[in-house]
Amino acid sequence: MAHLAALRAENFRCFDRLACEFGPGTTAFIGDNAQGKTSVLEAVCVLLRLQSPRTTTLTELCRFGQDHGFGLSGDLAPAAASLRPPTGPESGPDADATVPEPPCTLKFVWHQGQRRLQAAGQDALGPSRYLARSAVLVWMGNDDLSLIRGPGEGRRRYLDFLGTQAFPSYRPALLAYDKALRSRNRLLKDDRPDARQIAAYTAPLIEHGTTLTQLRHHLVTELKPWAAAAHCEISENPAESLEISYQGSATTDFAAALAASHPEETRRRLTLVGPHRDDVPLVLNNRPAAAFASEGQQRTLALALKLAQARLLHSLHGRPPILLLDDIFGELDPRRRNALLRALPPGSQQLITTTHLEWASSGFQPEYLYRVHQGTLTPAH
Amino acid sequence: MPKADYPPEIQRLILHLKRLQGVGPRSAERMAVALLTGKSGVAMELARALEAAAQGVVHCQICGFFQSTAATCPLCESPERDQTIVCVVEQPTDVIPLERTGAYHGLYHVLGGRLSPLDNIHPENLRISQLERRLASGTVREIILAVGSDVEGEATAHYLGDMLAHRPTGAAPVTVSRLAQGLPAGGGLDHADDLTLHRALSGRRLV
Ligand SMILES: [Zn+2]
Repeated sequence: MAHLAALRAENFRCFDRLACEFGPGTTAFIGDNAQGKTSVLEAVCVLLRLQSPRTTTLTELCRFGQDHGFGLSGDLAPAAASLRPPTGPESGPDADATVPEPPCTLKFVWHQGQRRLQAAGQDALGPSRYLARSAVLVWMGNDDLSLIRGPGEGRRRYLDFLGTQAFPSYRPALLAYDKALRSRNRLLKDDRPDARQIAAYTAPLIEHGTTLTQLRHHLVTELKPWAAAAHCEISENPAESLEISYQGSATTDFAAALAASHPEETRRRLTLVGPHRDDVPLVLNNRPAAAFASEGQQRTLALALKLAQARLLHSLHGRPPILLLDDIFGELDPRRRNALLRALPPGSQQLITTTHLEWASSGFQPEYLYRVHQGTLTPAH
Repeated sequence: MPKADYPPEIQRLILHLKRLQGVGPRSAERMAVALLTGKSGVAMELARALEAAAQGVVHCQICGFFQSTAATCPLCESPERDQTIVCVVEQPTDVIPLERTGAYHGLYHVLGGRLSPLDNIHPENLRISQLERRLASGTVREIILAVGSDVEGEATAHYLGDMLAHRPTGAAPVTVSRLAQGLPAGGGLDHADDLTLHRALSGRRLV
Protein backbone atom coordinates (compact mmCIF):
# COMPACT_ATOMS: atom_id res chain seq x y z
CA MET A 1 0.00 0.00 0.00
CA ALA A 2 1.27 3.40 -0.86
CA HIS A 3 -0.47 5.82 1.44
CA LEU A 4 -3.17 6.42 3.98
CA ALA A 5 -5.93 8.36 2.21
CA ALA A 6 -8.30 8.89 5.13
CA LEU A 7 -8.49 8.54 8.90
CA ARG A 8 -11.56 8.40 11.12
CA ALA A 9 -11.53 8.23 14.90
CA GLU A 10 -14.13 8.11 17.62
CA ASN A 11 -13.63 8.69 21.33
CA PHE A 12 -9.88 8.82 20.83
CA ARG A 13 -7.77 10.94 23.26
CA CYS A 14 -9.18 14.49 23.10
CA PHE A 15 -11.27 13.76 20.00
CA ASP A 16 -14.98 13.04 20.22
CA ARG A 17 -15.00 12.46 16.49
CA LEU A 18 -12.32 12.98 13.91
CA ALA A 19 -12.29 12.60 10.15
CA CYS A 20 -9.61 13.75 7.77
CA GLU A 21 -8.17 13.05 4.36
CA PHE A 22 -4.57 12.89 3.32
CA GLY A 23 -2.81 13.14 -0.02
CA PRO A 24 0.01 10.86 -1.09
CA GLY A 25 2.51 13.63 -0.24
CA THR A 26 2.62 15.95 2.75
CA THR A 27 -0.17 16.77 5.19
CA ALA A 28 0.48 19.27 7.98
CA PHE A 29 -1.35 19.71 11.29
CA ILE A 30 -0.85 23.11 12.88
CA GLY A 31 -1.81 23.99 16.41
CA ASP A 32 -0.58 25.05 19.82
CA ASN A 33 0.66 22.48 22.29
CA ALA A 34 -1.83 20.14 23.98
CA GLN A 35 -4.54 20.68 21.33
CA GLY A 36 -4.39 17.14 19.94
CA LYS A 37 -1.90 17.28 17.05
CA THR A 38 0.21 14.40 18.28
CA SER A 39 -2.93 12.36 18.96
CA VAL A 40 -3.74 12.44 15.22
CA LEU A 41 -0.38 10.85 14.43
CA GLU A 42 -0.81 8.47 17.33
CA ALA A 43 -4.18 7.37 15.91
CA VAL A 44 -2.45 6.60 12.60
CA CYS A 45 0.24 4.63 14.41
CA VAL A 46 -2.25 2.59 16.45
CA LEU A 47 -4.43 1.91 13.40
CA LEU A 48 -1.53 0.80 11.20
CA ARG A 49 0.81 -0.87 13.73
CA LEU A 50 -1.46 -1.73 16.71
CA GLN A 51 0.79 0.17 19.09
CA SER A 52 1.39 3.67 20.33
CA PRO A 53 4.78 5.31 20.81
CA ARG A 54 3.32 7.16 23.81
CA THR A 55 1.78 4.37 25.90
CA THR A 56 1.48 0.63 26.29
CA THR A 57 -1.99 0.67 27.87
CA LEU A 58 -4.64 1.07 25.21
CA THR A 59 -7.28 2.16 27.73
CA GLU A 60 -5.31 5.39 28.07
CA LEU A 61 -6.25 6.19 24.48
CA CYS A 62 -9.96 6.47 25.30
CA ARG A 63 -11.39 9.94 25.62
CA PHE A 64 -11.39 11.19 29.18
CA GLY A 65 -14.44 9.83 31.05
CA GLN A 66 -15.29 7.51 28.11
CA ASP A 67 -12.99 4.65 28.95
CA HIS A 68 -15.27 1.88 27.67
CA GLY A 69 -13.58 2.09 24.30
CA PHE A 70 -12.54 3.86 21.11
CA GLY A 71 -12.63 3.19 17.39
CA LEU A 72 -10.28 3.94 14.51
CA SER A 73 -10.56 3.32 10.82
CA GLY A 74 -8.67 4.35 7.73
CA ASP A 75 -8.36 3.78 4.00
CA LEU A 76 -5.10 2.67 2.47
CA ALA A 77 -4.86 3.70 -1.15
CA PRO A 78 -3.07 1.47 -3.64
CA ALA A 79 0.28 2.49 -5.03
CA ALA A 80 -0.13 4.74 -8.05
CA ALA A 81 3.19 3.92 -9.62
CA SER A 82 6.05 1.72 -8.62
CA LEU A 83 8.64 3.74 -6.75
CA ARG A 84 12.12 2.43 -7.00
CA PRO A 85 13.88 1.96 -3.70
CA PRO A 86 16.96 4.04 -3.08
CA THR A 87 20.27 2.79 -4.32
CA GLY A 88 22.48 2.89 -1.33
CA PRO A 89 24.95 0.83 0.60
CA GLU A 90 24.47 -2.88 0.05
CA SER A 91 21.06 -2.38 -1.45
CA GLY A 92 19.59 -5.55 -2.85
CA PRO A 93 15.91 -4.68 -3.06
CA ASP A 94 13.36 -6.51 -5.10
CA ALA A 95 11.97 -3.58 -7.06
CA ASP A 96 9.48 -5.81 -8.87
CA ALA A 97 7.65 -6.55 -5.62
CA THR A 98 5.18 -3.75 -6.39
CA VAL A 99 2.01 -5.51 -7.49
CA PRO A 100 -1.21 -3.53 -8.00
CA GLU A 101 -3.36 -3.80 -4.89
CA PRO A 102 -7.00 -2.87 -4.27
CA PRO A 103 -7.74 -0.15 -1.70
CA CYS A 104 -8.04 -1.50 1.80
CA THR A 105 -10.07 -0.23 4.74
CA LEU A 106 -8.68 -1.01 8.17
CA LYS A 107 -10.76 -0.93 11.34
CA PHE A 108 -9.53 -1.06 14.90
CA VAL A 109 -12.08 -1.19 17.71
CA TRP A 110 -11.15 -1.28 21.37
CA HIS A 111 -14.13 -2.13 23.51
CA GLN A 112 -14.03 -3.01 27.21
CA GLY A 113 -10.55 -4.43 27.07
CA GLN A 114 -11.14 -6.37 23.85
CA ARG A 115 -9.49 -5.55 20.53
CA ARG A 116 -11.35 -6.20 17.30
CA LEU A 117 -9.59 -5.95 13.95
CA GLN A 118 -11.02 -5.74 10.45
CA ALA A 119 -9.22 -5.39 7.12
CA ALA A 120 -10.73 -5.17 3.65
CA GLY A 121 -14.11 -6.38 4.94
CA GLN A 122 -12.67 -9.41 6.75
CA ASP A 123 -13.76 -9.31 10.36
CA ALA A 124 -12.22 -10.64 13.58
CA LEU A 125 -8.74 -10.92 12.08
CA GLY A 126 -5.72 -12.01 14.08
CA PRO A 127 -3.02 -9.36 14.45
CA SER A 128 -0.61 -11.01 11.99
CA ARG A 129 -3.11 -11.15 9.15
CA TYR A 130 -4.25 -7.61 9.94
CA LEU A 131 -0.71 -6.25 9.95
CA ALA A 132 0.01 -8.02 6.67
CA ARG A 133 -2.72 -5.85 5.08
CA SER A 134 -1.46 -2.67 6.74
CA ALA A 135 1.35 -0.28 5.84
CA VAL A 136 4.74 0.26 7.44
CA LEU A 137 5.74 3.53 9.07
CA VAL A 138 8.45 5.45 10.86
CA TRP A 139 7.75 7.79 13.77
CA MET A 140 10.07 10.74 14.29
CA GLY A 141 9.52 12.82 17.39
CA ASN A 142 11.07 15.39 19.60
CA ASP A 143 11.96 12.85 22.25
CA ASP A 144 14.08 10.79 19.83
CA LEU A 145 17.03 12.35 21.62
CA SER A 146 16.41 9.81 24.39
CA LEU A 147 17.53 7.15 21.89
CA ILE A 148 21.02 8.53 22.42
CA ARG A 149 20.86 9.72 26.03
CA GLY A 150 18.34 7.39 27.58
CA PRO A 151 18.58 3.82 28.87
CA GLY A 152 18.78 0.72 26.65
CA GLU A 153 15.03 0.19 26.79
CA GLY A 154 14.48 2.99 24.27
CA ARG A 155 17.00 1.49 21.84
CA ARG A 156 15.43 -1.97 22.20
CA ARG A 157 12.02 -0.46 21.45
CA TYR A 158 13.55 1.26 18.42
CA LEU A 159 14.80 -2.12 17.14
CA ASP A 160 11.55 -3.92 17.94
CA PHE A 161 9.39 -1.31 16.22
CA LEU A 162 11.54 -1.67 13.10
CA GLY A 163 11.97 -5.45 13.37
CA THR A 164 8.23 -6.18 13.50
CA GLN A 165 7.89 -4.22 10.25
CA ALA A 166 10.96 -5.70 8.62
CA PHE A 167 10.72 -9.48 9.19
CA PRO A 168 7.50 -11.52 9.52
CA SER A 169 9.07 -13.80 12.15
CA TYR A 170 10.10 -10.90 14.42
CA ARG A 171 6.75 -10.14 16.07
CA PRO A 172 5.90 -13.74 17.05
CA ALA A 173 9.39 -14.22 18.50
CA LEU A 174 9.19 -10.94 20.44
CA LEU A 175 5.73 -11.70 21.86
CA ALA A 176 6.62 -15.28 22.80
CA TYR A 177 9.85 -14.17 24.47
CA ASP A 178 8.02 -11.47 26.40
CA LYS A 179 5.38 -13.95 27.58
CA ALA A 180 8.03 -16.46 28.70
CA LEU A 181 10.02 -13.73 30.45
CA ARG A 182 7.05 -12.30 32.35
CA SER A 183 5.89 -15.80 33.35
CA ARG A 184 9.35 -16.76 34.55
CA ASN A 185 9.80 -13.54 36.52
CA ARG A 186 6.43 -14.09 38.18
CA LEU A 187 7.57 -17.59 39.25
CA LEU A 188 10.89 -16.24 40.57
CA LYS A 189 8.95 -13.81 42.76
CA ASP A 190 6.86 -16.55 44.43
CA ASP A 191 7.34 -16.99 48.18
CA ARG A 192 8.64 -20.49 47.59
CA PRO A 193 9.87 -20.52 43.98
CA ASP A 194 9.18 -23.86 42.27
CA ALA A 195 12.36 -24.91 40.44
CA ARG A 196 10.52 -27.30 38.09
CA GLN A 197 8.05 -24.63 36.97
CA ILE A 198 10.86 -22.10 36.50
CA ALA A 199 12.81 -24.64 34.44
CA ALA A 200 9.68 -25.29 32.35
CA TYR A 201 9.64 -21.60 31.39
CA THR A 202 13.41 -21.48 30.90
CA ALA A 203 13.02 -23.73 27.86
CA PRO A 204 10.73 -21.43 25.83
CA LEU A 205 12.69 -18.41 27.13
CA ILE A 206 15.88 -19.80 25.59
CA GLU A 207 14.19 -20.91 22.40
CA HIS A 208 12.44 -17.61 21.63
CA GLY A 209 15.23 -15.50 23.14
CA THR A 210 17.77 -17.10 20.81
CA THR A 211 15.52 -16.46 17.79
CA LEU A 212 14.96 -12.85 18.86
CA THR A 213 18.67 -12.24 19.41
CA GLN A 214 19.51 -13.65 15.97
CA LEU A 215 16.85 -11.45 14.34
CA ARG A 216 18.15 -8.36 16.15
CA HIS A 217 21.73 -9.10 15.15
CA HIS A 218 20.60 -9.44 11.57
CA LEU A 219 18.56 -6.23 11.84
CA VAL A 220 21.48 -4.19 13.16
CA THR A 221 23.76 -5.57 10.43
CA GLU A 222 21.21 -4.45 7.82
CA LEU A 223 20.68 -1.10 9.52
CA LYS A 224 24.33 -0.22 10.01
CA PRO A 225 25.22 1.01 6.49
CA TRP A 226 21.96 2.99 6.18
CA ALA A 227 22.59 4.70 9.52
CA ALA A 228 26.18 5.57 8.64
CA ALA A 229 25.15 6.95 5.23
CA ALA A 230 22.22 8.98 6.63
CA HIS A 231 24.45 10.36 9.35
CA CYS A 232 27.06 11.38 6.82
CA GLU A 233 24.41 13.22 4.74
CA ILE A 234 22.95 15.33 7.52
CA SER A 235 25.98 15.80 9.71
CA GLU A 236 27.82 19.12 9.78
CA ASN A 237 31.05 17.27 9.52
CA PRO A 238 30.88 14.43 6.98
CA ALA A 239 34.15 13.05 8.32
CA GLU A 240 32.39 11.97 11.53
CA SER A 241 31.90 8.24 11.69
CA LEU A 242 28.94 6.49 13.28
CA GLU A 243 29.22 2.88 14.42
CA ILE A 244 26.29 0.87 15.72
CA SER A 245 26.39 -2.73 16.88
CA TYR A 246 24.28 -5.22 18.80
CA GLN A 247 25.52 -6.01 22.26
CA GLY A 248 24.13 -9.10 23.92
CA SER A 249 23.80 -9.28 27.70
CA ALA A 250 24.92 -12.90 27.39
CA THR A 251 28.57 -13.11 26.44
CA THR A 252 28.47 -16.89 26.07
CA ASP A 253 25.44 -18.68 24.65
CA PHE A 254 22.10 -17.79 26.21
CA ALA A 255 21.49 -21.08 28.04
CA ALA A 256 24.96 -21.03 29.62
CA ALA A 257 24.68 -17.37 30.62
CA LEU A 258 21.27 -18.01 32.16
CA ALA A 259 22.63 -20.95 34.14
CA ALA A 260 25.58 -18.85 35.30
CA SER A 261 23.26 -16.10 36.50
CA HIS A 262 21.24 -18.57 38.58
CA PRO A 263 22.53 -17.61 42.07
CA GLU A 264 22.03 -13.91 41.42
CA GLU A 265 18.62 -14.29 39.77
CA THR A 266 17.44 -16.34 42.75
CA ARG A 267 18.60 -13.59 45.07
CA ARG A 268 17.13 -10.76 43.02
CA ARG A 269 14.08 -12.78 41.88
CA LEU A 270 14.44 -11.56 38.31
CA THR A 271 15.70 -12.95 34.98
CA LEU A 272 18.97 -11.06 34.54
CA VAL A 273 20.26 -12.04 31.10
CA GLY A 274 18.58 -12.18 27.72
CA PRO A 275 17.43 -9.94 24.88
CA HIS A 276 15.50 -7.81 27.38
CA ARG A 277 18.86 -6.68 28.74
CA ASP A 278 20.67 -6.29 25.40
CA ASP A 279 21.67 -2.92 24.00
CA VAL A 280 22.74 -1.08 20.87
CA PRO A 281 25.82 0.99 21.73
CA LEU A 282 26.16 4.12 19.60
CA VAL A 283 29.72 5.15 18.91
CA LEU A 284 30.62 8.45 17.28
CA ASN A 285 34.25 8.92 16.27
CA ASN A 286 35.23 5.93 18.42
CA ARG A 287 33.63 7.37 21.55
CA PRO A 288 30.26 6.55 23.20
CA ALA A 289 27.79 9.11 21.86
CA ALA A 290 25.77 9.40 25.08
CA ALA A 291 28.73 10.67 27.06
CA PHE A 292 30.91 12.43 24.52
CA ALA A 293 28.74 13.85 21.72
CA SER A 294 27.50 17.45 21.88
CA GLU A 295 23.78 18.13 21.94
CA GLY A 296 23.90 19.07 18.25
CA GLN A 297 25.72 15.86 17.37
CA GLN A 298 23.20 13.87 19.39
CA ARG A 299 20.28 15.48 17.53
CA THR A 300 21.90 14.62 14.21
CA LEU A 301 22.49 11.09 15.39
CA ALA A 302 18.86 10.62 16.46
CA LEU A 303 17.65 11.85 13.06
CA ALA A 304 20.11 9.53 11.31
CA LEU A 305 18.82 6.51 13.25
CA LYS A 306 15.23 7.27 12.24
CA LEU A 307 16.18 7.96 8.62
CA ALA A 308 17.98 4.63 8.60
CA GLN A 309 14.74 2.93 9.70
CA ALA A 310 12.91 4.56 6.80
CA ARG A 311 15.54 3.63 4.24
CA LEU A 312 15.85 0.04 5.39
CA LEU A 313 12.06 -0.41 5.25
CA HIS A 314 12.06 1.21 1.80
CA SER A 315 14.69 -1.20 0.56
CA LEU A 316 12.98 -4.25 2.09
CA HIS A 317 9.45 -3.49 0.91
CA GLY A 318 10.23 -1.72 -2.35
CA ARG A 319 8.31 1.40 -1.35
CA PRO A 320 8.88 4.11 1.23
CA PRO A 321 7.21 3.86 4.64
CA ILE A 322 4.68 6.43 5.84
CA LEU A 323 6.51 9.06 7.91
CA LEU A 324 4.91 10.47 11.05
CA LEU A 325 6.90 13.57 11.96
CA ASP A 326 5.83 14.88 15.33
CA ASP A 327 6.85 18.46 15.97
CA ILE A 328 10.45 18.09 14.89
CA PHE A 329 11.01 20.84 12.32
CA GLY A 330 10.40 23.78 14.63
CA GLU A 331 13.02 22.43 17.03
CA LEU A 332 15.81 22.06 14.50
CA ASP A 333 18.20 24.75 13.36
CA PRO A 334 17.74 25.69 9.68
CA ARG A 335 20.78 23.74 8.53
CA ARG A 336 19.66 20.45 10.10
CA ARG A 337 16.07 21.08 9.06
CA ASN A 338 17.01 21.51 5.41
CA ALA A 339 19.37 18.57 5.55
CA LEU A 340 16.58 16.42 6.98
CA LEU A 341 14.03 17.58 4.40
CA ARG A 342 16.48 16.65 1.66
CA ALA A 343 17.20 13.27 3.24
CA LEU A 344 13.58 12.10 3.70
CA PRO A 345 12.77 9.22 1.34
CA PRO A 346 11.43 10.68 -1.92
CA GLY A 347 7.84 9.72 -2.68
CA SER A 348 6.99 8.99 0.93
CA GLN A 349 3.75 10.13 2.53
CA GLN A 350 4.51 12.56 5.32
CA LEU A 351 2.17 13.54 8.13
CA ILE A 352 3.64 16.49 10.01
CA THR A 353 2.64 18.27 13.19
CA THR A 354 4.00 21.69 14.02
CA THR A 355 3.11 24.71 16.16
CA HIS A 356 3.75 27.14 13.28
CA LEU A 357 4.95 27.13 9.71
CA GLU A 358 7.41 30.02 10.05
CA TRP A 359 10.29 27.62 9.58
CA ALA A 360 8.95 26.43 6.25
CA SER A 361 10.67 27.75 3.16
CA SER A 362 8.62 28.83 0.16
CA GLY A 363 9.32 25.44 -1.38
CA PHE A 364 7.44 23.62 1.40
CA GLN A 365 3.87 23.25 0.27
CA PRO A 366 1.70 20.67 2.05
CA GLU A 367 -1.14 19.20 -0.02
CA TYR A 368 -3.44 19.22 2.97
CA LEU A 369 -3.31 21.60 5.90
CA TYR A 370 -5.35 21.29 9.09
CA ARG A 371 -5.62 23.47 12.14
CA VAL A 372 -5.97 21.58 15.41
CA HIS A 373 -7.66 23.40 18.26
CA GLN A 374 -9.12 21.87 21.43
CA GLY A 375 -9.78 18.49 19.91
CA THR A 376 -11.26 19.72 16.62
CA LEU A 377 -9.75 19.64 13.19
CA THR A 378 -10.43 22.35 10.58
CA PRO A 379 -9.16 22.27 7.01
CA ALA A 380 -7.03 25.37 6.53
CA HIS A 381 -6.89 25.51 2.77
CA MET B 1 -44.97 8.73 27.45
CA PRO B 2 -42.90 5.77 28.74
CA LYS B 3 -40.91 3.99 26.05
CA ALA B 4 -42.00 0.43 25.33
CA ASP B 5 -39.40 -2.31 25.69
CA TYR B 6 -39.45 -6.13 25.72
CA PRO B 7 -41.33 -7.62 28.68
CA PRO B 8 -39.04 -8.53 31.63
CA GLU B 9 -39.11 -12.27 30.73
CA ILE B 10 -37.62 -11.61 27.29
CA GLN B 11 -35.12 -9.10 28.71
CA ARG B 12 -33.94 -11.76 31.15
CA LEU B 13 -33.55 -14.29 28.35
CA ILE B 14 -31.52 -11.76 26.30
CA LEU B 15 -29.35 -11.08 29.33
CA HIS B 16 -28.52 -14.80 29.71
CA LEU B 17 -27.85 -15.31 26.00
CA LYS B 18 -25.48 -12.33 26.00
CA ARG B 19 -23.36 -14.08 28.63
CA LEU B 20 -22.52 -16.83 26.15
CA GLN B 21 -19.12 -16.59 24.50
CA GLY B 22 -19.20 -14.88 21.12
CA VAL B 23 -22.78 -13.62 21.44
CA GLY B 24 -23.19 -9.85 21.21
CA PRO B 25 -26.24 -7.83 22.31
CA ARG B 26 -27.75 -7.74 18.79
CA SER B 27 -27.53 -11.48 18.17
CA ALA B 28 -28.75 -12.24 21.71
CA GLU B 29 -31.85 -10.19 20.92
CA ARG B 30 -32.35 -11.93 17.57
CA MET B 31 -31.94 -15.37 19.13
CA ALA B 32 -34.41 -14.61 21.92
CA VAL B 33 -37.02 -13.31 19.53
CA ALA B 34 -36.51 -16.22 17.11
CA LEU B 35 -36.89 -18.76 19.92
CA LEU B 36 -40.15 -17.26 21.11
CA THR B 37 -41.78 -16.52 17.77
CA GLY B 38 -40.63 -19.60 15.87
CA LYS B 39 -42.37 -22.93 15.55
CA SER B 40 -44.18 -23.70 18.80
CA GLY B 41 -42.29 -26.02 21.09
CA VAL B 42 -38.80 -25.01 19.94
CA ALA B 43 -38.10 -23.01 23.08
CA MET B 44 -39.37 -25.76 25.38
CA GLU B 45 -37.34 -28.41 23.57
CA LEU B 46 -34.23 -26.29 23.98
CA ALA B 47 -34.98 -25.75 27.66
CA ARG B 48 -35.35 -29.50 28.21
CA ALA B 49 -32.18 -30.29 26.27
CA LEU B 50 -30.23 -27.72 28.30
CA GLU B 51 -31.50 -29.12 31.56
CA ALA B 52 -30.74 -32.71 30.55
CA ALA B 53 -27.22 -31.81 29.42
CA ALA B 54 -26.47 -29.74 32.50
CA GLN B 55 -27.63 -32.49 34.85
CA GLY B 56 -26.60 -35.54 32.86
CA VAL B 57 -23.02 -34.77 31.86
CA VAL B 58 -20.04 -34.97 34.21
CA HIS B 59 -16.30 -35.43 33.74
CA CYS B 60 -14.82 -38.92 33.92
CA GLN B 61 -12.94 -39.27 37.21
CA ILE B 62 -10.06 -41.00 35.46
CA CYS B 63 -9.47 -39.27 32.12
CA GLY B 64 -11.43 -36.05 32.59
CA PHE B 65 -13.38 -36.34 29.32
CA PHE B 66 -17.14 -35.74 29.20
CA GLN B 67 -19.19 -38.63 30.47
CA SER B 68 -22.92 -39.23 30.64
CA THR B 69 -24.11 -40.01 34.17
CA ALA B 70 -26.19 -42.81 32.64
CA ALA B 71 -23.18 -44.62 31.15
CA THR B 72 -19.53 -45.49 31.81
CA CYS B 73 -16.66 -43.53 30.19
CA PRO B 74 -16.60 -44.42 26.47
CA LEU B 75 -12.79 -44.10 26.49
CA CYS B 76 -11.52 -45.56 29.75
CA GLU B 77 -14.00 -48.46 29.75
CA SER B 78 -13.52 -49.48 26.13
CA PRO B 79 -11.89 -52.94 25.87
CA GLU B 80 -10.62 -52.15 22.36
CA ARG B 81 -8.41 -49.30 23.50
CA ASP B 82 -4.72 -49.71 24.17
CA GLN B 83 -4.36 -49.34 27.95
CA THR B 84 -0.59 -48.84 27.80
CA ILE B 85 -0.62 -45.49 26.07
CA VAL B 86 -2.05 -42.18 27.33
CA CYS B 87 -2.41 -38.97 25.36
CA VAL B 88 -2.31 -35.83 27.55
CA VAL B 89 -4.44 -32.90 26.33
CA GLU B 90 -5.35 -29.50 27.76
CA GLN B 91 -9.14 -29.53 27.34
CA PRO B 92 -11.85 -32.20 26.97
CA THR B 93 -12.67 -30.69 23.55
CA ASP B 94 -9.13 -31.54 22.38
CA VAL B 95 -10.08 -35.24 22.47
CA ILE B 96 -12.59 -34.88 19.61
CA PRO B 97 -10.18 -33.78 16.83
CA LEU B 98 -7.66 -36.47 17.88
CA GLU B 99 -10.42 -39.11 17.77
CA ARG B 100 -11.53 -37.92 14.32
CA THR B 101 -8.11 -38.67 12.86
CA GLY B 102 -8.75 -42.36 13.51
CA ALA B 103 -5.00 -42.70 14.03
CA TYR B 104 -5.04 -43.03 17.79
CA HIS B 105 -6.39 -45.94 19.83
CA GLY B 106 -5.01 -45.30 23.30
CA LEU B 107 -6.40 -43.54 26.36
CA TYR B 108 -6.53 -39.85 27.24
CA HIS B 109 -5.77 -37.62 30.17
CA VAL B 110 -7.34 -34.15 30.28
CA LEU B 111 -5.31 -31.61 32.29
CA GLY B 112 -8.08 -29.02 32.43
CA GLY B 113 -5.81 -26.22 31.19
CA ARG B 114 -2.13 -25.45 31.03
CA LEU B 115 0.44 -23.88 33.32
CA SER B 116 0.14 -20.09 33.25
CA PRO B 117 1.72 -18.20 36.16
CA LEU B 118 0.45 -14.89 34.77
CA ASP B 119 -3.11 -16.21 35.22
CA ASN B 120 -2.22 -17.89 38.52
CA ILE B 121 -2.53 -21.39 37.10
CA HIS B 122 -0.02 -23.69 38.76
CA PRO B 123 0.47 -27.50 38.74
CA GLU B 124 -1.94 -27.97 41.65
CA ASN B 125 -4.72 -26.33 39.59
CA LEU B 126 -4.41 -28.96 36.86
CA ARG B 127 -5.07 -32.71 36.87
CA ILE B 128 -1.37 -33.50 37.20
CA SER B 129 -1.42 -35.45 40.46
CA GLN B 130 -4.23 -37.56 38.95
CA LEU B 131 -1.90 -38.37 36.06
CA GLU B 132 0.83 -39.46 38.48
CA ARG B 133 -1.64 -41.69 40.29
CA ARG B 134 -2.75 -43.26 36.98
CA LEU B 135 0.85 -44.16 36.23
CA ALA B 136 1.40 -45.77 39.64
CA SER B 137 -0.34 -49.01 38.57
CA GLY B 138 2.42 -49.60 36.01
CA THR B 139 0.10 -50.38 33.07
CA VAL B 140 0.93 -47.21 31.16
CA ARG B 141 4.16 -47.44 29.13
CA GLU B 142 3.89 -44.43 26.84
CA ILE B 143 2.75 -40.83 27.25
CA ILE B 144 2.01 -38.52 24.34
CA LEU B 145 1.95 -34.84 25.24
CA ALA B 146 -0.58 -33.18 22.92
CA VAL B 147 -0.60 -29.71 24.46
CA GLY B 148 -0.62 -26.45 22.50
CA SER B 149 2.49 -25.08 20.85
CA ASP B 150 2.31 -21.57 22.34
CA VAL B 151 4.53 -20.49 25.25
CA GLU B 152 2.25 -21.88 27.98
CA GLY B 153 1.82 -25.15 26.07
CA GLU B 154 5.58 -25.48 25.64
CA ALA B 155 6.15 -24.83 29.34
CA THR B 156 3.47 -27.36 30.32
CA ALA B 157 5.09 -30.00 28.09
CA HIS B 158 8.51 -29.27 29.61
CA TYR B 159 7.09 -29.47 33.11
CA LEU B 160 5.43 -32.83 32.49
CA GLY B 161 8.45 -34.14 30.58
CA ASP B 162 10.72 -33.26 33.49
CA MET B 163 8.32 -34.73 36.03
CA LEU B 164 7.98 -38.00 34.10
CA ALA B 165 11.75 -38.26 33.65
CA HIS B 166 12.26 -37.99 37.42
CA ARG B 167 9.76 -40.49 38.74
CA PRO B 168 10.44 -42.27 42.02
CA THR B 169 12.91 -45.14 41.84
CA GLY B 170 11.18 -48.45 41.21
CA ALA B 171 8.43 -46.91 39.10
CA ALA B 172 7.91 -48.57 35.74
CA PRO B 173 9.60 -46.49 33.03
CA VAL B 174 7.42 -44.59 30.54
CA THR B 175 8.36 -43.26 27.13
CA VAL B 176 7.36 -39.63 26.67
CA SER B 177 6.84 -38.05 23.26
CA ARG B 178 5.44 -34.74 22.20
CA LEU B 179 3.05 -33.73 19.46
CA ALA B 180 4.47 -30.52 18.21
CA GLN B 181 5.23 -30.68 14.56
CA GLY B 182 2.61 -29.05 12.41
CA LEU B 183 0.40 -27.80 15.20
CA PRO B 184 -0.62 -24.19 14.79
CA ALA B 185 1.39 -21.79 16.94
CA GLY B 186 -0.61 -20.15 19.69
CA GLY B 187 -3.61 -22.36 19.12
CA GLY B 188 -5.08 -25.35 20.81
CA LEU B 189 -5.79 -28.64 19.12
CA ASP B 190 -9.28 -27.64 18.03
CA HIS B 191 -7.77 -25.28 15.44
CA ALA B 192 -5.70 -27.98 13.75
CA ASP B 193 -7.20 -29.82 10.81
CA ASP B 194 -7.40 -33.60 10.63
CA LEU B 195 -4.49 -34.06 8.24
CA THR B 196 -2.16 -31.90 10.34
CA LEU B 197 -3.11 -33.85 13.45
CA HIS B 198 -2.69 -37.17 11.68
CA ARG B 199 0.81 -36.15 10.61
CA ALA B 200 1.59 -34.80 14.07
CA LEU B 201 0.49 -38.06 15.67
CA SER B 202 2.66 -40.22 13.44
CA GLY B 203 5.64 -37.83 13.65
CA ARG B 204 5.74 -37.32 17.39
CA ARG B 205 9.16 -36.86 18.93
CA LEU B 206 10.70 -37.88 22.21
CA VAL B 207 11.15 -35.26 24.91
ZN1 LIG C 1 -12.46 -41.68 31.10
